[in-house]
Amino acid sequence: MILAEILTDGLLAAIAGIGFGAVSYPPTRAFKYIAILAAVGHAFRYTLMNHGEVDIATASFFASFVVGILSLWFGRVSRCPMTVLYIPALLPMIPGMYAYKSVFALVMFMQHLEEPLLAARYLQELFSNLIVTVSTVFLLAVGATLLIFILPKRVYSLTRQRRDRSGRGPRDPRDRDDEPE
Amino acid sequence: MTSNDELKKIARFIAEYATCLLASGVHTSRVIRNSCRIGASFGVKIKMSTTHKTIVLTTHDRENANVYTEVVEIPALPINFEYNSELSALSWEAYDTRLTLEELREKYNRIISRPKMSPRLVLFLVGLANASFCKLFGGSWLAVGIVLVATLAGFFTRQQMQRRGINHFIIFTVSAFVSAMSATTALACDSTAEIAIATSVLFLIPGVPLINGVIDIVEGHAVIGCSRLIHAFLIIICITVGLSCPLILFKTSLL
Repeated sequence: MILAEILTDGLLAAIAGIGFGAVSYPPTRAFKYIAILAAVGHAFRYTLMNHGEVDIATASFFASFVVGILSLWFGRVSRCPMTVLYIPALLPMIPGMYAYKSVFALVMFMQHLEEPLLAARYLQELFSNLIVTVSTVFLLAVGATLLIFILPKRVYSLTRQRRDRSGRGPRDPRDRDDEPE
Repeated sequence: MTSNDELKKIARFIAEYATCLLASGVHTSRVIRNSCRIGASFGVKIKMSTTHKTIVLTTHDRENANVYTEVVEIPALPINFEYNSELSALSWEAYDTRLTLEELREKYNRIISRPKMSPRLVLFLVGLANASFCKLFGGSWLAVGIVLVATLAGFFTRQQMQRRGINHFIIFTVSAFVSAMSATTALACDSTAEIAIATSVLFLIPGVPLINGVIDIVEGHAVIGCSRLIHAFLIIICITVGLSCPLILFKTSLL
């Protein structure tokens, strides 16, 4: 039963990832990898949050770190830069309900300025929801990006064609030293 | 050895290449690396400084004192990840196989002129995505259906307005309003109406500039990173405004 829940969660996230990815026109070959990344990331976060009692921001960080690692591997297979794969895959993890609740609290705060008790309640709701939203989004972005700092050389050459496919052969050995990262 | 004229041609190409990449949603350090790589394939050093609207670009030949500098404007293009991967691959190809400038330009033009995914298909995919998002947040099937319709309406509005070249802050405000307003139909018949309204505008969230902004800042390109984040926040404010109107109208039934 738990497994079915996790799988459904992943499946829904995969559809969301494909759709949100389509807005930014990734190459066609990237879609299947985006779907897998979105599914794995969201299902992993779901498991952490519901069965590991981790809060949403921390769970998002670990999930997006996992997405980052997988996107390095998939990037090598599909010759796409990591960001092309992981940005659409992270979008389903954006904490939409918290964002909405912040907006709603802001609206209600404005409507109840004259009633200090209600105004204070909505102000507190606004802040707590906003903090959850902002820190979750920030940790999502940082989690997946972390790998760029750990393995820069490998991350930067994902789109490079394997050698010796062209007739011209490798470059002059004396140019070796100025190879850009 | 490159003559002044060749240097200028290389700079012109790289200026076009780099502005296209930056405009289509690539983080700054990748743009700089790709450009330097293409420069290196011609034996030319590239130095560049980027802001949100312009790039200052200098090419210089290490063997003689020739220098060519240009300031180029970054056009407003829609985000395109296909350019990101194909143009990055092109820079490696140029570097590994030493393409001539003509070959490079031809390949570049071929990538730029590739047909995009059809807008109808994108519309359909975004609708499905937002609907499944609603299910993820625990909405009922009725709410899922309503979000699907609301998203289709909102995204269709956005596409039509974009085609007419309307200011994009207005586009985001109006699309958010249309989506959220359509989603309020859930109030009449559904207990998870709140979830329906909340998810109906999420397809508008500017995820790419948000994440790119963070990447740019942590990689040290703080100025352009902050510009991207400010831009993303402005768009979020627009979405908030569009979403607030139905909330104010129906606040009693939402409490």
